[in-house]
Amino acid sequence: MSRESRPDGGANVALLEAMSLTKTFGGLAAVKDVSFKVESGSIKAIIGPNGAGKTTLYDLLTGIYLPDEGSVVFQGRDIVGLATHEITALGIARTFQTIRLFPEMTVIENVMVGLHHHTRAGFVKSAFRAPSAMREEAWMREESLRILDIAGLEMQADNLAGSLPFGQQRLLEVARALATKPRILLLDEPASGLNAYETSELGEIIYRLRDMGVTVILVEHDMGLVMRISHEVLVLDYGEIIAEGTPDEIKGDPRVIEAYLGSELD
Amino acid sequence: MAGEKGGKEAAAGSRFLALLKRNRALLIFFLFILVMPLWAENVYKTISLDFVFIMRLVGVYTIAAVGLNLLMGYAGQVSLGQGAFFGIGAYTSALLTLKAGFPVWVGIALAIAVSALFGILVAPVLRLKGHYLAMATLGLAIIVFVFLREMTWLTEGNFGLSGIPSLNLPFTSITGFDLPFIKDKAQRPELYLQFYLIWIIVFAALILCSNLVRSRVGRSMRALHQSEVAAEAMGVNVSAQKIKVFVLSAALGGLAGGIYANLQGYIDPNMFTITLSISVLTMVVIGGMESIWGAVAGAAVITFLPKMVEAIPKWVGDAPKWLERYSNYEGIVFGLILVLTMIFMPSGITKGLSDLVRLRRSPFVNPFRRKAVE
Repeated sequence: MSRESRPDGGANVALLEAMSLTKTFGGLAAVKDVSFKVESGSIKAIIGPNGAGKTTLYDLLTGIYLPDEGSVVFQGRDIVGLATHEITALGIARTFQTIRLFPEMTVIENVMVGLHHHTRAGFVKSAFRAPSAMREEAWMREESLRILDIAGLEMQADNLAGSLPFGQQRLLEVARALATKPRILLLDEPASGLNAYETSELGEIIYRLRDMGVTVILVEHDMGLVMRISHEVLVLDYGEIIAEGTPDEIKGDPRVIEAYLGSELD
Repeated sequence: MAGEKGGKEAAAGSRFLALLKRNRALLIFFLFILVMPLWAENVYKTISLDFVFIMRLVGVYTIAAVGLNLLMGYAGQVSLGQGAFFGIGAYTSALLTLKAGFPVWVGIALAIAVSALFGILVAPVLRLKGHYLAMATLGLAIIVFVFLREMTWLTEGNFGLSGIPSLNLPFTSITGFDLPFIKDKAQRPELYLQFYLIWIIVFAALILCSNLVRSRVGRSMRALHQSEVAAEAMGVNVSAQKIKVFVLSAALGGLAGGIYANLQGYIDPNMFTITLSISVLTMVVIGGMESIWGAVAGAAVITFLPKMVEAIPKWVGDAPKWLERYSNYEGIVFGLILVLTMIFMPSGITKGLSDLVRLRRSPFVNPFRRKAVE
């Protein structure tokens, strides 16, 4: 139902463009000649069997790995070679497949770390509790509570992140990434380990993000979620794009079925 | 106009109250330190434990330990090199005040600067992680020690430097410092002056560091400790942040060293061996990682221990002979304390004890209360 209601009215503005990205690890191509565009305001899903190179692709987009070849253009700027924190500051945030919260910090502190690059107070101002640092601190707390509210975690604000149930830890990862105020949010299997209720709640949150103007890329195995919320689906297998299109097109694509189920009568 | 001014004053007042409330533990400890000279002299006479004298050293070590705790406890970068920065600070201040005739406080300020500079110079070791970083900083401590010993043209090598000007009020040489509340004027005024000067610095350092760890910067330090990848992905410049904490830690080590030199009046390289690094590390661990207060507790335990062992023969007439040889096996005792702390109070004595209190009050698990029915 929402596939038709894109905020940009289908202006086809490429927010992020990957051009023939290639990354090999010891002769094995984890990502091979992958090119795609992500339009502003869309939800794009990347699917594929385990080991298809989805997480590696994320690591290339966020500067954790340098690609062997190819480039990534974000808002008209080539971001290959930038450090991860610089890419985050430009507006690309991500979550992790294996949860990487700061477990010994409280829920709200986790989100406040996400606001790090929106604040300036350095060592000296922080140590002396300069008025500007205090104002920032108050702003961070307020803003974090607002973000926690979006994720439905405001009641947990002062609990340790590590003490949250698994599903809420996943949501906190999303909330923390959201705190960086990204233009584009890369979610890495956000629904894995969630029950049906939590998954549908996650879907609602992703919709809300889209309405807030955040473009979402979603790596996910939960096909129900993928088919329900994404505008476009990209299918990777052995590091290569084997299909790209709307969820309906993908559902019927024989190459996709082959990749997932093996070929018929081999 | 007047009302506005009144409102402003009230706001300032409540901010001050908030400050006191936030630091009430600090305040209590501050009062404890303030009145210490009132009873310390009598305690000294009865149990031969010179509190004021020892507490000066506790203060010095607290500064070094709080620096290491920022780096190790909060940012998670294990360093066995704090002794090196301590030594560099000590020699900088000693040489500047003794040979170049600088005022003591300028010497100490430059001790901070030189140690911090050295910290920036060796900061690339922070690319290493975990045990490798510990090994590299250990190497650093040994290298600095060897340099201090072998650069005899500058440091006089093993002879050491003696006659270093002693710590005093800035730019003066007041020696007749009388405390109004001490009746017995015969005792050591300079000692009390130094005691107060050091603890003023210690309190300043503790307050600034505890502000720091509760800020954006402190959060980023703890974040990179728990997951570097996630911290980086959240926009924290992990490598830059590590270097900054490392340099701050080095600067605090240098400050401690600078004060130490001007306190002792004599230094030689053997004071700044790897043993010093290990004892500062022990202070941090037994005081408690990620605890600014732990630094004081750790420094107090490690500094008082040998002094108490020393004092035992004066309490009991026939103390066993092995007590007198304590310094020979001090390392073993430290090691034992370290191991026992790690086993029984892994979060250090400050957190460990407060947890015990909480446990004792808890209606649930209570190992202290006898079971009603045996």
